[in-house]
Amino acid sequence: MSGDRTASAPGGPGERPGRSAGAAPAGSRRPRFLEGGLLQGGVQGSPVVRLFLRWVRRPLLPVMRLWRRNIQLRVVAATLLMSLGVVLLLGFVVIGQVRNGLLDAKVKASQSQATGGFAVAKQRADEAASAAGGAPDTDDADGTTADGRQSQNVIQWMSDLVESLSSGGAGAFDVVTLPVGDESGGGRSPRGSGNVDPTASVPAALRERINNSTTAAQSYTRIVYSGGRSSQPALVIGKQINDLNSHPYELYYLFPLTQEEKSLSLVKGTLATAGLFVVVLLGAIAWLVVRQVVTPVRMAAGIAERLSAGRLQERMKVTGEDDIARLGEAFNKMAQNLQLKIQQLEDLSRMQRRFVSDVSHELRTPLTTVRMAADVIHEARGDFDPVTARSAELLADQLDRFESLLADLLEISRFDAGAAALEAEPIDLREVVRRVVGGAEPLAERKGTRIRVAGDQQPVVCEADARRVERVLRNLVVNAVEHGEGRDVVVRLASAGGAVAVAVRDYGVGLKPGEATRVFSRFWRADPARARTTGGTGLGLSIALEDARLHGGWLQAWGEPGGGSQFRLTLPRTADEPLRGSPIPLEPKDSRRNRGLDEAGVARGADEKRATVPVRPGAGQGQQLPAHAGVGSRTAVGPSAGPAALPGNGNGARVVPRPAGPADGGRSAGGTAAPRGHDDRPVPGQTGGSPEGAGPKDASEPGEAFRGR
Amino acid sequence: MGADREGGVRRRSGRAVAYAACGAVLLAGCASMPDSGDLRDVESTPRQDTGVRVFAMPPAEGARPGEIMQGFLEALTSDDPQYDTARKYLTEKAAASWQPDESATVLANGPSVAPATQPRDREASDNGVTYLLSGSRVAAVDAEQAYAPAHGSYEASVHMTKDPKSGQWRIDGLPQGVVMGRTDFQRNYTSVNKYYFASTATVGATGQPVAVADPVFVRGKVDPMTQVVRSLLDGPSRWLGPVVRSSFPTGSALQKGVTGLAPDDQNRLTVPLNAKAAQAGPAKCTEMATQLLFTLRNLMPTLESVELRGPGGHALCDLGEGRADAVAWHASGQRPDYLYYLDGKHRLERLPTTGATTSAAPVPGPLGDGAKDLRSVAVARDEQTAAGVSADGRGLYVASLAAGGSLGPAVVTSQGLTPDNRLTTPSWDARGDLWVADRDPRDPKLYVLAQGAGKPERVNVPGLHGRIRDVRVAADGVRVALVVTDGDKESLRIGRIERDDKSGAAPTVVELRPAAPDLEQVTAMSWAGDSRLVAVGLEQGGVHQMRYIQVDGSTLDGPAPAALSGVKAIAASEDERAPLVAYSEDDGVVRLPSGAQWQKVDKDGTAPVYPG
Repeated sequence: MSGDRTASAPGGPGERPGRSAGAAPAGSRRPRFLEGGLLQGGVQGSPVVRLFLRWVRRPLLPVMRLWRRNIQLRVVAATLLMSLGVVLLLGFVVIGQVRNGLLDAKVKASQSQATGGFAVAKQRADEAASAAGGAPDTDDADGTTADGRQSQNVIQWMSDLVESLSSGGAGAFDVVTLPVGDESGGGRSPRGSGNVDPTASVPAALRERINNSTTAAQSYTRIVYSGGRSSQPALVIGKQINDLNSHPYELYYLFPLTQEEKSLSLVKGTLATAGLFVVVLLGAIAWLVVRQVVTPVRMAAGIAERLSAGRLQERMKVTGEDDIARLGEAFNKMAQNLQLKIQQLEDLSRMQRRFVSDVSHELRTPLTTVRMAADVIHEARGDFDPVTARSAELLADQLDRFESLLADLLEISRFDAGAAALEAEPIDLREVVRRVVGGAEPLAERKGTRIRVAGDQQPVVCEADARRVERVLRNLVVNAVEHGEGRDVVVRLASAGGAVAVAVRDYGVGLKPGEATRVFSRFWRADPARARTTGGTGLGLSIALEDARLHGGWLQAWGEPGGGSQFRLTLPRTADEPLRGSPIPLEPKDSRRNRGLDEAGVARGADEKRATVPVRPGAGQGQQLPAHAGVGSRTAVGPSAGPAALPGNGNGARVVPRPAGPADGGRSAGGTAAPRGHDDRPVPGQTGGSPEGAGPKDASEPGEAFRGR
Repeated sequence: MGADREGGVRRRSGRAVAYAACGAVLLAGCASMPDSGDLRDVESTPRQDTGVRVFAMPPAEGARPGEIMQGFLEALTSDDPQYDTARKYLTEKAAASWQPDESATVLANGPSVAPATQPRDREASDNGVTYLLSGSRVAAVDAEQAYAPAHGSYEASVHMTKDPKSGQWRIDGLPQGVVMGRTDFQRNYTSVNKYYFASTATVGATGQPVAVADPVFVRGKVDPMTQVVRSLLDGPSRWLGPVVRSSFPTGSALQKGVTGLAPDDQNRLTVPLNAKAAQAGPAKCTEMATQLLFTLRNLMPTLESVELRGPGGHALCDLGEGRADAVAWHASGQRPDYLYYLDGKHRLERLPTTGATTSAAPVPGPLGDGAKDLRSVAVARDEQTAAGVSADGRGLYVASLAAGGSLGPAVVTSQGLTPDNRLTTPSWDARGDLWVADRDPRDPKLYVLAQGAGKPERVNVPGLHGRIRDVRVAADGVRVALVVTDGDKESLRIGRIERDDKSGAAPTVVELRPAAPDLEQVTAMSWAGDSRLVAVGLEQGGVHQMRYIQVDGSTLDGPAPAALSGVKAIAASEDERAPLVAYSEDDGVVRLPSGAQWQKVDKDGTAPVYPG
């Protein structure tokens, strides 16, 4: 995106869309950015919440990154989690069972104890009642009603009963009596042994049950002590019993579960300790195992990265005979084979280049002789009969073409061999353009084409090799005239931001999608059926591209079917300067798509839209091209870039297609970008560097294919 | 080379085996119960109180008169500190005038409640109800918290009326004090010895005051420590009052609002006193602290020191456990060196109390050389002098226990017709006075010999019915236990010894009171503590048995000594560590070390005594 801006900013002078693209996107980008932030956060809240979330998330980001990248961490964490779950489950089950077992035993013992106690209490009441009935106390004999006598002594009797019942089990259980009924209890008070608070310790539900039935019932409760002792869980068993006056009361046995709780906590502690050890053990095992596997994998990944970076002699260290060792061996074997194959291919490629060069050289000598002879014949064609004269003319024409083809072949083989040298000096491109236009005038007249030059009001000076630039421009202009179908050809010059550019626009048949990158391929032809009327060799654009690259510049093509095409040459103003953008947009403003979108944008009447419009075509164009380039570069990162570049330098280690040439061009979009990583690709792709970078690769494929054929 | 490597491998494997063995041993140590290890102190855990508590409930809404009566009586047996719940059963007027601390009446089986049927009551109280509380008295605790056995029937009426405002039945007329059954009383009340100093007796060259125990009953579950301290400051009980003094200045009291006295972590108790008490000098203050420490130690044996504070929190003095014994003479703090008894040849022999040895030796001096056949003996508390009654009971001889002395003439003689009607076993007190009674039915007499040497003086016992059959003077010299025969009934009585040292008149024993009203016969008895006796007797309709008796007549909670048949004489020391010794017709002299069974000391021995 930023590349987009820098790409269009240099083109700013005199270009309204460029400027608007420079200012407006800044405004339009912000909402989109915010929107993206919101969607990323997944929270549609106030800025405070968002800020807080971001603040929370920030320290977590390295952890998340580690989590995503570290398989060992993930496996160990998963193991820990799972083993923890299993241990917890096991702990619950075991503790539950132990608890039930302990309670069962306690409940049984308690029940028998309590039943005995109830029997004793009943027996005592009966004995006391029969004693009182059998031998009435003389003191009360006179005038005391039955009720009066019956209510005697129950206070002391019951205290004695509780004391004797509880004395059997000091610490083991406590005894509590409660009056039947509600709190008032008919004037009877609760009693408890061992500091037990009777009313608080007996649950209300149990009390109600005991009130309403004569059978014993039990419940769990918590004994509350009145003497400052902490409360304890307990089993309480109660029954309604008659006292010596045959009045009912409630007798409760409370069995503290202290011992059981101690046993349970012992089991809990043991289980927790064992579980902790097991979890740690499993985690350690997982860590060790994963380490055994991951370490070689990491090593292999590192080696593979280095291999892909061209260091083919890297090998894995192999120890032992296990699976990992087999992997390492296979990996090494693969690397060895790859190295071997690549070596062979390099040798083959070098041989072929030498062959082409030699053939070209060897053909020149006989060709010179043939040429002289043909000239003689051509001079004398007037003396021949028409058929023969026509043949002589044909012979001369084809010899011309043969010669130029041979020259181009020699030139390109010189490029491939890295023998091309740049003789840069400050030149004014306007002069070059004038010469080229002048040279192309005859052809233009023949085609009925008018060549216009724009942007030549000011000098356009740069450091360049005038001969090569002229060759490039001639090639472009001639091509434009040739495919212009008689319409105007516009040559535009511009300079800004350390770069100068010349764009050649025609309004001919244009280029189909995808052809813009292939036009630079050697011997590529848009329509194989179309004849070469001007006798082009099919190498012109390839040589032009090599020339541009030699300058550290770009040569890019744009075209649309029926809408004509534009070829743009961008050169750095000084020879060593890397290019960051071009003063002229690759896609002309008068492209059909631009015009259509412009109209649509105006129709919609949104200012922002109009502001973004100039950007979009560029982006669209950029996307269209890199999409192609991306596939090409990804599938052919090492192998295809290598051979394509190797013809130039003959050095296997360098992947850069132009070793002696400007490193700038290569750095911005050339072969070096490819090994650096895929991530960088799409961004420069939008600057327009990518089309150029993709160009040679795509160009190389047909070239190779051709040669192979 | 190969050998080297082999050796290295062997060494390494040997080391591995050693490590493994060490690990195995460690693990085995963890996996089995330890059978050895370091020494550690065992922390004593306080025994849990398993006593029964009654939780008083306030009267229910619309309760009937019978329920109000019942609830009120129950509330009296609860641990309510100020009987606040019980007061809720009373009308406001009655609650204001009712004083529960006035007295506590103990009935055998608790009060029985009956609605009064007298028509007179019904007419008098227009809409009231009268209930009659009745029962048979056992004892009463007075406002000074002193226990006194009682008998007869108890009857009190409680009047109940309907509160005109709330429409609830409330008690508006009731007797002062509380009433409860005997077991409830035993559960709720605890006997505590207050200590005062005998006003006349001193011991030793430094003139140490002699501590006298004054047992009182306090409610054991309601802040007993504060109650005891208050009671101690209030002064001795009426019965003991004339012969003891308190070191606390008159008007001494705890500072206002002090409750919940309790020792701190170092078993140290701080007692804040009012300004009156703070006037005491340092010596007096130490005596005060001694009184407090002696008193509180029988409530809380772990107490180690007491600090007295005056108003404003400034320390008056403090006293540790060790110094207290130096400040005052205290019978239960004295350990007898020897147990004395008469062997088969009626000579006086002695046996060290320390150690389990049973090798007795005759005492030095005339009583040990068989010059005189003896029937009974008494050894002075300083174990320098002994008194013996001749085998025929006619004469009392006093001789030194130092070697080489000779037996003088009898200091007291009896004219009784039979040996059983002559002199009783003599008894020494801490001052060194020797007491003996003449059982001659024609002229029963009680003698005291000042310092064991003077002329026997006849002791006047006003209010005595019957004749004294046995006498044991308490170590403090202000109380004497007498077995009195009146017809065919015997009773154990405690009397107060009043002396008038200035006038030089013989002491008198006054205000005899029953110590064991339920005993019909008392065969033998001995002091076994500051306010405790051990006696062999026959309960009404029971058999001869040995038991401990509190001097105020209350029964003790503690277990009785293991049974022994045919006990004729018994000896105990105030120091509880000394074993109980008895003379049984079947087995001779036997002793009962704590936690063991009776052991034979001398088959032919008789008349065992500890000093005293």
